[in-house]
Amino acid sequence: MTTMMERSFKYLDERLGSASLARTALRKVFPDHWSFLLGEIALFALVVLIFTGTFLTFFYNPSIQEVVYDGPYEPLRGAHVSAAYNSVLRLSFEVPAGLLMRQTHHWAALVFLAAIVIHLCRIFFTGAFRRPREVNWLVGVGLLFLALGEGFTGYSLPDDLLSGIGLRIFYAVTLAIPVVGTWVTYLLFGGEFPAPDIISRLFVFHIMLLPALLLALVGVHLAILVLQKHTQFPGPGKTERNVVGKRLWPEQTFKSVSLLLFTTAVLAMLGGIAQINPVWQFGPFEPFNVTSPAQPDWYIGFLDGALRLGPPWDLNLFGFTISEVFWPAVLFPGIAFGILTLWPWIERRFTKDRAEHNLLDHPRDTPVRTGIGAAGLMVFFIMFLEGGNDIFGVLLGVPVETITRILQWGLVIGPLVTFLATYWICRSLSRTRLRPAQINAGVRLSRTSDGGYETVSLEPPAEDGERAPAATGPHAE
Amino acid sequence: MTDSDQQGSEPVDVDRQTEVGQEHHGDRRKAERRVGIALAVAILAGIGLFVVYFTGGQTQIEGLLFAVAFGAFGVALGIWANHLLDAREVVEERHELTSGPAGREAFEAALTEEVGPVLGRRSMLLRLLVGAGGALGLALLLPVLSLGPAPGNTLKQTPWRRGSRVVDEEGEPVSLNQVPEDGFLTVFPEGHDGAADAQTLLIHVRPGSLKLPPEKMAGVPEGTHVAYSKICTHAGCPVGLYRAESQTLICPCHQSQFDVSDGAKPFFGPAARPLPQLPLGVDEEGILVAQGDFPEPVGPAFWDMNRGR
Repeated sequence: MTTMMERSFKYLDERLGSASLARTALRKVFPDHWSFLLGEIALFALVVLIFTGTFLTFFYNPSIQEVVYDGPYEPLRGAHVSAAYNSVLRLSFEVPAGLLMRQTHHWAALVFLAAIVIHLCRIFFTGAFRRPREVNWLVGVGLLFLALGEGFTGYSLPDDLLSGIGLRIFYAVTLAIPVVGTWVTYLLFGGEFPAPDIISRLFVFHIMLLPALLLALVGVHLAILVLQKHTQFPGPGKTERNVVGKRLWPEQTFKSVSLLLFTTAVLAMLGGIAQINPVWQFGPFEPFNVTSPAQPDWYIGFLDGALRLGPPWDLNLFGFTISEVFWPAVLFPGIAFGILTLWPWIERRFTKDRAEHNLLDHPRDTPVRTGIGAAGLMVFFIMFLEGGNDIFGVLLGVPVETITRILQWGLVIGPLVTFLATYWICRSLSRTRLRPAQINAGVRLSRTSDGGYETVSLEPPAEDGERAPAATGPHAE
Repeated sequence: MTDSDQQGSEPVDVDRQTEVGQEHHGDRRKAERRVGIALAVAILAGIGLFVVYFTGGQTQIEGLLFAVAFGAFGVALGIWANHLLDAREVVEERHELTSGPAGREAFEAALTEEVGPVLGRRSMLLRLLVGAGGALGLALLLPVLSLGPAPGNTLKQTPWRRGSRVVDEEGEPVSLNQVPEDGFLTVFPEGHDGAADAQTLLIHVRPGSLKLPPEKMAGVPEGTHVAYSKICTHAGCPVGLYRAESQTLICPCHQSQFDVSDGAKPFFGPAARPLPQLPLGVDEEGILVAQGDFPEPVGPAFWDMNRGR
């Protein structure tokens, strides 16, 4: 056994020079902090997505050709449905383990987006995007956009009533782009809604174009990570010039594979017992039918909420029209995601900080950045809430109008209050000089000559690794 | 070990250190046992999956067994990582990322060594090179135009024509008073039942409840059969909810509300424009017919909706 392994290692090394490369890889050091696992969860959810998604493609039929449903689901027997919808029903009711795969795929998509967003927050609030990692920030934001695109296109594929309405709204959004909106919409959808090509195009986007870009960018994301090495929180022995942690082999490998298995376990459990997107209940898409209440998947919720909160202002410019949809669904995301994309450079304009940073900030030490980030999250959160205003209306017994009015005011006041509160909390916490992310170095107890005890901190004195908390500015230096 | 990975300053916990020597061996044994149990559970769950699959399958049980198999395997590796590995903290030095000024100069030299002199001397050639590249790039974009038809006037028209008979979803003609008072029906022009852009709401309102200007009232047979486009002018959802007592149409997607008595003008929510009214009449058989297409484009706004119609 050993000799066979040795022989194959020798074979590969003589042809690829793989031994020294592999040795370097095995000895790569990973900082040991839970927040560094968020990106891994996203990666592992992607693995589950690829496996379950490949399974689904073997059964899914991206065609809107009308067929008569004659499967085992009684209520839809004899209904005229699209071949796409028919194939999803078949996957759900007839293919062994098909429903499990479909539901696991859907859950994995929700978790994928959630992990990406939380990972992004970690990067933002700890300043991990600063030089030299601005390029990887861009790659990461690109991955977020691709993941959103994957989510939306996949959500629309079953050609059920709920997703059809989502598609109709998306169509209105692209139509609202000034000047080129109609052209962009017609090129994208292949004509006036509901153009016959939509479903097959979405399928090509969902299983080929977007995944190819996504996987390529994941590769770049990880390659840059390896090249630049991990960031780390400041702590004893940790400096800008080193990485302290566990090696890839064996510690990190065991942990990561364990996390991969846990992620898969949770997703399989959700896919098995937590029903999601029961398209047979929504019925097939008909452009003149609608369901209520209608909510999209969570990551699109903010956009639906923005559309509900939006002001009824359309604009006439020299006979041309700017839609009321433009402000909440084109301009707002454009500005919000624009700021997000350019944040490393925006922040640098104010801090004038061009130095390399491999040590992370504690969010409390950068009250302005943390405040802005929290305010931004609040904007998205209020919009997300508004996306469920009809549900809250029923739950709370309050008219939908009231909820919308409150949240409209919330959108004006909420982010400001959030910023001020976060800023104040950060300043107060920063003054305590407690460092939650730092591993306590411990204390030494020693007997004093007069019979008492004294404690000696084993924490090394603050030096280059430990930075003084900043009082002002979004960044502590 | 190379000089780049020396042992890091290990965090020392005094209390734990004393225990390590005595209980280390026992801990290991216990951990090994737990890993073994977890792996056995994973094996059993895997076998269970086979059994369930081949005895007809059951989504919930399969999901749970998958979860147990993966989860137990994960637990095993987790315990292994935390208790059976040394888990030493190590320090890796970072290396300078930049190649430095000398490196960059060498790169530039390598880049321009052979092509630089040629392109520098013959800048005309360089311009043509850029021009040819640009032209080729534009030409390669051409196939994109095949992806959709030119919008033209398609968004400004619907299949409704003067004399189109009003039919329901099944294509059956709709006659006057077929819809009860306070009721409503989704209708289409004959021959286009189900057409997305032609979907129209026929509402039978109480007599005298409409407050429309005379030219609009002319398209409301009996003063009670009014028809509005069913496509929300906000984001295009079908406006599917009607509150008869307040004569309000509500879009379920974003809660825009339209006042049926007042020309379907929006009074709450994000919609900015009224639902266009379809002028109706009655033919000699008592069937409702259209007097023409909608006077304005239906559905969500777009850039040139008010031009060249």
